[in-house]
Amino acid sequence: MTTDTRGTAALRAGIPGRLYVALAIFAIVAPFLWILTASFKHQIAIYAGQFPFTPTLANYADVLFGRRSDFSGNIANSLIVAASSTALVLVVGALAAYSLQRFRWPAWVSAGFLGWTLVFHMVPVLTLLGPWYVAFRELGLYDTRAALVVTHVTINLPMTVWLLRTFFREIPPEILEAAHVDGCGPFDAFRRIALPLALPGLIAAGILAFVFSWNEFPIALTLTSRVTATVPVAIARFAQQYEIQHAQMAAASVISTIPAVILMFLGQRFIVSGLTLGAVK
Amino acid sequence: MRTVGALREATPGAPATRGGIGTLLDRSFRYWSLVPAVLLFAALTLYPLLNLVRMSVSTVGFANGVETWTLTPLRNFAAVLEDDVVRPAVVNTLVFVAVSVAIEMVLGTALAIAVAGLSRAKRLVRTVAILPILVPPVAIGSIWKLMYNYDFGIFNQALVALGAMPVNWLGSTSVALWSVIAVDVWHWVPFVFLILFAAVEGIPPDLLEAAHVDGATRGQSLRFVVLPLLRPAIVVAFLFRAILAFKVFDEVFLLTAGGPGTSTELVNLHLYKVFFEQNRLGYGAVLSLAVIAAIVAFLLVSRRVALAVAAMHR
Amino acid sequence: MIANLRHVRILLAALALAATTPATAQQKAFADVGKQPDITVLIGSTPWYPAFEKVVGLYEQQTGNHVKLDVTPFGNILEKARNAVRTGQSPYDLMTLDTQWTIEFYEGGFVSPLADVDPAFAMPKEVFHYGDSGYWNAQKRWRTAGGGKLMAYTVLGNVQLLYYRDDVLKQAGLAVPKTWNDVLASCTKLAKPPSTYGFVARGEKGNGIRYDWQSVMLAEGAQVVKDPEAGDFTVTINSPQAKKALDLYVDLLKHCGPPNYGSLGQGDVIQLLATGKAALGDVVTAAFASFEDPNKSAVVGKLDTAPLPAGANGAHGAVIGNWNAVIPKNAPDAQKKAALAFSRWFLTYDAQRAFAEAGGIPNRSDVYTSDLAKNPKYRWMPAYLETQKFAKQELGYAEGAQVEQILGLRLNQALIGEMGAGKALNTAAQEIEALFRKNGRRTGVLPPLPE
Repeated sequence: MTTDTRGTAALRAGIPGRLYVALAIFAIVAPFLWILTASFKHQIAIYAGQFPFTPTLANYADVLFGRRSDFSGNIANSLIVAASSTALVLVVGALAAYSLQRFRWPAWVSAGFLGWTLVFHMVPVLTLLGPWYVAFRELGLYDTRAALVVTHVTINLPMTVWLLRTFFREIPPEILEAAHVDGCGPFDAFRRIALPLALPGLIAAGILAFVFSWNEFPIALTLTSRVTATVPVAIARFAQQYEIQHAQMAAASVISTIPAVILMFLGQRFIVSGLTLGAVK
Repeated sequence: MRTVGALREATPGAPATRGGIGTLLDRSFRYWSLVPAVLLFAALTLYPLLNLVRMSVSTVGFANGVETWTLTPLRNFAAVLEDDVVRPAVVNTLVFVAVSVAIEMVLGTALAIAVAGLSRAKRLVRTVAILPILVPPVAIGSIWKLMYNYDFGIFNQALVALGAMPVNWLGSTSVALWSVIAVDVWHWVPFVFLILFAAVEGIPPDLLEAAHVDGATRGQSLRFVVLPLLRPAIVVAFLFRAILAFKVFDEVFLLTAGGPGTSTELVNLHLYKVFFEQNRLGYGAVLSLAVIAAIVAFLLVSRRVALAVAAMHR
Repeated sequence: MIANLRHVRILLAALALAATTPATAQQKAFADVGKQPDITVLIGSTPWYPAFEKVVGLYEQQTGNHVKLDVTPFGNILEKARNAVRTGQSPYDLMTLDTQWTIEFYEGGFVSPLADVDPAFAMPKEVFHYGDSGYWNAQKRWRTAGGGKLMAYTVLGNVQLLYYRDDVLKQAGLAVPKTWNDVLASCTKLAKPPSTYGFVARGEKGNGIRYDWQSVMLAEGAQVVKDPEAGDFTVTINSPQAKKALDLYVDLLKHCGPPNYGSLGQGDVIQLLATGKAALGDVVTAAFASFEDPNKSAVVGKLDTAPLPAGANGAHGAVIGNWNAVIPKNAPDAQKKAALAFSRWFLTYDAQRAFAEAGGIPNRSDVYTSDLAKNPKYRWMPAYLETQKFAKQELGYAEGAQVEQILGLRLNQALIGEMGAGKALNTAAQEIEALFRKNGRRTGVLPPLPE
């Protein structure tokens, strides 16, 4: 993670830059504050847009400890699925992206694979649900976290590969050649040179893969039931037939961002430290 | 530019030779680095894709609990032409995608550059900036629906407090699509920001330093050094943002259900109705293929436009 | 003597204690179902789900059998149900389907007729028929008890009622509206925007406006299709009566509703009533409980209900939106029987009464004529009972979802002024006729209305 200040001196944000950042942060955070306040209101206070209002913890209690809620279980499921699928997609995706960039593959291989992942990304997810449901049910993997992990990896692979590809492309091939001359095997070159240089990309791809897996809804809904349901499915239950239980939904949303943020922080640290062990800046 | 020599010195002791499985792994690295991705992808995507193509030329019915497939390609394609909702849906979707993605690209890139220029708190700002994509889409849709609420929503409450007239955010055909676009922008600028920020962080500081030393102003170094270097990231961000924009569903469904009238009818929403509510799998599959074709067309056109713009600036 | 007395007193005290100690033994089961294997039920996330859950808890307590409830977001129940029946063995032994989905499952042969699971099963006669949505006549392709097999029973029968603020009406010196014209007259007097809206109903495109408008349509004596049961699918939606109903509905919302009437969903309507901004409203019965909850409503105790108003000729109209419990054909036999056993228990008077007390809507008429109906907490019951006399099922054919899409769009366009009522109905009629024709139905269309 570069903390080099020379370069950023050239980019240093002037007043307009900093003002823009402040405005952007405000615009981004304001709806969150709204969700946060809503989570402490009773439904009627939300309906009437009351401010000030009498705060309550009832929504959090309902979400976490309510009779029909397994929210802590849902969070655990989401954490497991998101963490596993992110780790897996980063490994598989980084290897593939590096391979496509570094080695001379015939055009039909690289263009074919990249094109296929891109086209697959364009397919509306709901057309995939039927076949996947059938397939996983036949395999006995219906209602398992493994099924979710594998499908999430598939969904996130296109973006991961394409994104990491741009970062690997920036690495001058001479560096890798030099390492080769030095007796560094190709895998070592990948691990000790390419990965650290692509660190910002890895972090971005990792965050995106995690977030998309965390928030993924249609597949999670189709392939799970009560025990393995993830957070988005649990939150969707608050969107009921006639009305939305905004209060509980707000509380659940607030609760669900916390483990996600924590895991992302830790994940970043993990990637950074894992790569700086014996790596090159 | 990092010198090759410096790198040589810095590389920690890499063993000169490796025996046995190590060499085998090394020699076949070229293959086993790509094969897992290909295998995984093939295993999971071939069946659904083939199924989709097959459905697009068939009519799927059910009798006695059993699926029946009958080949009816012409009927399915005719259905697209006869469907009155498709045309406004496509137009709205194109407008939605073009406007949302353009705004998001500009705002996101600007934010990435601005944040990269901060001297402190970069990581904190980044974590805060990506909060919107952490919220499940269903929650985003319902929260914004409340904020846009005519009688009690915070926007109208603020407007009334300032003495202005409340706006019919979701109930007016002229405003509704823009309200939906605003939600999309809020939701996805962080996505563009994240990718572009990583790219800016990846720019070798020497380059910027060199430009600075050469006397370039900030504006010039932005235009001639930074932006061109960001081009690949911009392309990827645009590519994926556009594709995702074509697939938007949750927010629109909750905010407007495609109304009022056909003003926020989007292709993916219509697809959902056809596929799920009306259970017309064959026609739904054709629509999906049509959507893919539309996305490809859109991307090709965008590429043309971008090349033309770049050529103009040179 | 004193010693004997003391003994007697002790004995009496012991007897008294024994008499007043609550029975720790199991409560007598409402129906004798015997020991059954565990079953899994597919059920949606709805306002009445907590009530259902309580009743299921009672079942488990009384019989020792276990019932697993898979609570699914409302928008995704259909998907889960379809997946369950289309492959291998169903993960669910009992599924609750909204009325418009039942035809697909009956026609596709995915559901076991209840008599096939247990020939001895009989629906209690007190259970409402809800337009025979639980019966399927395969030959006529129509849901009717006449020649039809029993495929499902109603778990929750929702109809819409007219909700009104008694205090607001009294203050304005108005009586409870009996016809839709009364509603129009009253609401224009009551409307004082933006603090009070006279009347609220759904105007949202799609299912929202279709469902609510059809109550007015039926009241004015109009129909979408001439006689689908007999196979005559002549489209009659663009009749003068239907136009009258549409004009009336548009007037109601334009003059008495909030400015965003074109996008009002059920949640919005409930919100406006719960915050006290609306004086009259057309809302589902199931929302009553939330109006009585101080955490969700600012008008606790102030809303009353009446059957939906009548049309010019005195006929009332209401559309039934009921949840039907079906047993998937591909569920294991033993569990099918267990599901039916639970159903038998659920349909008893005691279970339905418990359901009402937990906040649900019972499906037996004897609960509505019991002492519960006199309790102010259940003051919606008389209106509901009355509504059962005229409530109808609509769109009960395979093309239902598509017809709803067409109607839902054109009605909404008429409401927001994108096209006139006559043109909207004519367009809808033509589109629906084309749809029926493509599906091989015997169809035709009325002469177009003046536009």
